[in-house]
Amino acid sequence: MALHDMAIIGYAETKIVLKSEVDVWELGAEILDQLLERTGFEKGEIDGLILSSSSTGAGNIFWSQTTADQLALELNFCQTVDIGGSSPVGAVARAAAAIDAGLCETVLCLFADTAVAENNGRPRSYGAEWTTPYGYLGAPMAFGMLSQYYDDKFGLDSRALGKLAVAQRDHAMLNENACEKLRKPITIDDYVNSRMINDPIRLLDCVMPCDGASGLLMTRRDRAERRGITKCAVPIGYGERTNVGAASAIVDPTLTGHRQAGERAFAQAGLKPGDIGSFHPYDDFIIAIMMQLEMLGFCPRGQGAAFINETDFLFSGDLPLNTGGGQISAGQCGLAGGGTNLIEAVRQLFGEGGPRQVANSATALVTGIGGIPYGRNWNSSTVLILSSNA
Amino acid sequence: MSAYNDLLGIERPLPPERSFSRLYWDATREKRLVIQYDRSADAYQFYPRPTSIYTGRRGDLEWREVSGKGALFSYTIVRRARPPFRDKEPYIVAMITLDEGVNVMSNLIHCTQDQLATGLRVRPYWESLPDGRHLLLFEPDA
Repeated sequence: MALHDMAIIGYAETKIVLKSEVDVWELGAEILDQLLERTGFEKGEIDGLILSSSSTGAGNIFWSQTTADQLALELNFCQTVDIGGSSPVGAVARAAAAIDAGLCETVLCLFADTAVAENNGRPRSYGAEWTTPYGYLGAPMAFGMLSQYYDDKFGLDSRALGKLAVAQRDHAMLNENACEKLRKPITIDDYVNSRMINDPIRLLDCVMPCDGASGLLMTRRDRAERRGITKCAVPIGYGERTNVGAASAIVDPTLTGHRQAGERAFAQAGLKPGDIGSFHPYDDFIIAIMMQLEMLGFCPRGQGAAFINETDFLFSGDLPLNTGGGQISAGQCGLAGGGTNLIEAVRQLFGEGGPRQVANSATALVTGIGGIPYGRNWNSSTVLILSSNA
Repeated sequence: MSAYNDLLGIERPLPPERSFSRLYWDATREKRLVIQYDRSADAYQFYPRPTSIYTGRRGDLEWREVSGKGALFSYTIVRRARPPFRDKEPYIVAMITLDEGVNVMSNLIHCTQDQLATGLRVRPYWESLPDGRHLLLFEPDA
């Protein structure tokens, strides 16, 4: 796939709120309106629509079609990506593939979920039969067991994890779209002393469920250039891995699909971790950030804490981390939440980070995490490396 | 007395059965643990799948009865739950590695704070369900 022939020519997001007062389709319309305003494209020029997973849309087996109908888009390509929190990043790769295959020319990738206001999800999985009868509630408990395993194997450094939480919170203070409830400073002590939810997972390890939407417009790079659009983000590397350890009855939960996905993305981009200007990992729990640092090769496996302790993750530091606050400090927009990490990476490459603009806006790395399998870590891992058009 | 709730006798959500897991549930009526075994891979698998996780083929899968003894792989102490487990916290959700080499998720009961550690040897404890089946729990194999 000629990933680097594609360009993200515009991005948009709504403010993240505790519970949406407006319908999910109105949030989608707000994203479309912002994108048309910023790119100068006409609605009729959009001929592809790719939606992320959405808890609100989950009950609707015609989700992409009905959304296209609500937004009055006439399309040559229309689909929903259903790899959970990995789906916004996955949507970018699928949009590039669809354009490259000649299926369509300009794609709206739309990530909208009002999971708090209206959750229609009823996943058909192993859950009802093998975990729900045990009072298992999915992600927080999966991460509890994963963290305990990590602690037994490598040792958990709670102050190092707290440093990540604080950096992201500092960034949310600078992000007007972050959920207001979360825009209050925290300290490492606040993190360490926050109450246990599922030992060793603390309250400040967790994302807060919120509502909101984001999106982007992608077209061919040469087409964008012909229209005089020079500011864009170019995807230069992508990797995706689902169901890591599928053929094993026992899986080490500290090994994730980001290892394979990252190797593929870095090879395609011709880059290494040290080249990355800003890092926007999917963050449903703080430990996931540390595990991704290890799996992506920023540091050796099991040595995440040492790397964290010697790295400055502020927007002004050596490895800017989720400069909009990430989902943990901006709020998790349901299954569309990966859009928050993604859009912030694009914003940085556009040089539009304002008070949180990073110095190195040449490249950014975004990831996705989606789904919780039986007693492992997560179902899908995605890695996307973006470059500015420079 | 245990520091953790043993969750015995509470009305748990009844697990549904699938066409390919019925034999597992049938065996629990007699408090027998049967799990799938792939002859060609010479390996067990859990939870029951419609096919071999090793080969993708169905022909070499069979059910074998196992002791249910194993060791604690990992665990979490649940302090925030939803009904019917709300107000029953704290309790333990655990992954147990059976001696046959598969991981099983369950509750660990009758376990003291001093005992709770990875590697703890455990054995099955069958909790009765209202429909005559039993739910597989684990307790320390002291």
